[in-house]
Amino acid sequence: MAIEPQRPDGAARNARDEAEAGLAVRARAGDRAAFGELVERYAEQARRVARAVLQDPDDADDAAQDAFLAALVKLHQYDAQRPFGPWLMRIVANAATDRRRRRTVRRAESLEEGLVAGGPRPDVVAEREALNGRLRAALAQLPPRRSLAVTLFDVEGYSHAEIAEMLGIPEGTVRSEVFHARRRLRTLLADWRRDE
Amino acid sequence: MTAPLTPFDHRPDPVLGAALRDALQPRDREGAAFRARVLAAAAQAPDPVVDVLARWSRLGIAAAIVAALAAGALVGRTGRAAEPAVAVSDPGAVIAGVQAPDANILFAGYAER
Repeated sequence: MAIEPQRPDGAARNARDEAEAGLAVRARAGDRAAFGELVERYAEQARRVARAVLQDPDDADDAAQDAFLAALVKLHQYDAQRPFGPWLMRIVANAATDRRRRRTVRRAESLEEGLVAGGPRPDVVAEREALNGRLRAALAQLPPRRSLAVTLFDVEGYSHAEIAEMLGIPEGTVRSEVFHARRRLRTLLADWRRDE
Repeated sequence: MTAPLTPFDHRPDPVLGAALRDALQPRDREGAAFRARVLAAAAQAPDPVVDVLARWSRLGIAAAIVAALAAGALVGRTGRAAEPAVAVSDPGAVIAGVQAPDANILFAGYAER
């Protein structure tokens, strides 16, 4: 499994944050191309974060889209002295959590099948898809805040402090949420590797 | 798993992170359709600048109304305070008269005192 680089550190990160703040300021002034560039940069991340809360990919994309549009309308509230990513991810997290709250529980019930179904593993792609399905199902069973915390920390590379600000909770609570989510997900992953 | 399992661990777990990333990654890796969809929806959304100006104009109108009311109240109070307190020799004559009394008569009455 390829380990992709996470968020850049140090000077590269500062330069990127500055560039994105500039894009946000231009977008706020009505420059739709600048907004398009921000969408380009954050589309995948927004979709992944939304999918951590909403198992249905279409639901997740709808939530991510809602978040981008909400961000466009709220750009006057964005503080250009701060990084754009955490500000946007806060909106994505809220959009996904709201959508999950509104959703019926019917879909959640079907997730159980994904967790318990072992079955034959015909090839590597199918194996990987099965593992992905189990991980998504496990994430979907976690409380939304916990799924978001572990995704933002381990997948997107945000710090505990940034996540605390995004989710509006104390930093210690973020650590606790990441810990509990990891315990659940690592068990699943370890069982899977043992079976391989 | 590389990192120890403790709530005080401040490092991301690269193995779990990669597994989750792969699980959450949308299948259309480029995401071109999604981005096009967002931009099309954004084109329909109100322009943030116009929106802000509209909000400001609403605030401006409200502020102008408040200022006009405040100015009106202030002018009214000042006008009342500026009215001369006159004394006349025969106040009853002033009240009983149909026509407004001549200012000279009023001031003459005041001067006599």
